[in-house]
Amino acid sequence: MTQATPDDLYAALDHFRGKVNENQRLRQMNRDWNRDISVVAKDLPDVQAWIRMRAGEMEWERQRCDDPHIVLTAPADVLIGIFQGERTPTEPYLDGSLTLRGSQEDVLRLDFVSLMIWGE
Amino acid sequence: MKGVLGVSLGSSQRDHTVEVSMLGEEIELSRRGTDGDLDRAEQLIREHDGKVDAIGLGGIDVYFFARGERYVVRDGLRLMQAAQVTPAVDGSGIKDTLERDAVQYLLHHTDLLKPTTRVLMVSAVDRFGMAEAFVEIGCPIVFGDLIFSAGMPYPITTLDELADIARRILPEMAKMPFTMLYPTGKEQEKEGSSERFHEYYDGADVIAGDWHFIRKYLPQRVDGKWILTNTTTAKDIQELRQRGASHVVTTTPEMAGRSFGTNVIEAMIVALSGQRPEELGHQGYADWLSRLHLQPRIENLQGGSAS
Repeated sequence: MTQATPDDLYAALDHFRGKVNENQRLRQMNRDWNRDISVVAKDLPDVQAWIRMRAGEMEWERQRCDDPHIVLTAPADVLIGIFQGERTPTEPYLDGSLTLRGSQEDVLRLDFVSLMIWGE
Repeated sequence: MKGVLGVSLGSSQRDHTVEVSMLGEEIELSRRGTDGDLDRAEQLIREHDGKVDAIGLGGIDVYFFARGERYVVRDGLRLMQAAQVTPAVDGSGIKDTLERDAVQYLLHHTDLLKPTTRVLMVSAVDRFGMAEAFVEIGCPIVFGDLIFSAGMPYPITTLDELADIARRILPEMAKMPFTMLYPTGKEQEKEGSSERFHEYYDGADVIAGDWHFIRKYLPQRVDGKWILTNTTTAKDIQELRQRGASHVVTTTPEMAGRSFGTNVIEAMIVALSGQRPEELGHQGYADWLSRLHLQPRIENLQGGSAS
């Protein structure tokens, strides 16, 4: 297996943004959810990714997020798999390879977002 | 005397033990809360396995249902499997029948429920039979599963959409720690004083479903509304009275001054029958419910007398 690159992760984030923003029902569900999410790839220490959820829309930047509501930490291949919809966050969360730091409601909501998208 | 133990992930402040006589049989019903501690609940079950006639699992579901699909809750299954000798049940064997019957009873024997009654069901995947019963009557309804479990301001208004969202979410969510999905232990004691989601309460005549979800965002005033729920304590009733609720209806009857969860009632039926749950089956449970003549408990909170 080849090592995931920053570009692989960025492409996965672009893909995820597209899926979130084209899902009208999900945008409606998240219309009150304004959150900053920091994405940390354990094996790509130079990579910075800041997801911004605003009124149901997602944007992301290659930038450090200093005061995130949620911090998502995992090996790059786990993050890429989740953002590409190739795996759910549940198993890596339960086996400890994915850690989510934030309020319980925000963490649960992020899970809902990914499941609503990839259940399509 | 038969013995039934209810082990709950809920607050230990709601613990109680009563002795009741049912169809000529004396039964001790005991409820023990573990304040959200799953390991302690498992230990309690192991300690009592083989020593009581049936065990009820409360404050947790083993199964969620939506449109014929059954979703297994991992933590609930873990507790159920901790009992190797004594049958352990979560109430789902009788909930569907009991709660459908409760809605029909309210429609035909009270003035509380009409086809125009607006219903907020705080969660429906844990009581799909009740949800279907309201829909069959024609009541305008909001299913608050996403609102009350995940804080998402998204009212679901049809059973089709509820089943669709359940199909996407529940297979994975059911694997998560149950404490993430549902208030357990001390979370249950928190004052429901948040200002969130009051529009859904305001737009309903009846608030139905799990009591801890109902209480989660319960407004300070719910004047004239009535509540259809599972288990309540004297403190809960007092709180609803003070907030102006007109009636509280519990789907399980009062026994020795307490309403017990469906898990305890199902365990009681298992104990009375001497059969295992899989031997009883849907029809067996329905027959026992009919023999026991269980009717919902209706308490008029503002008039003082029960009807």
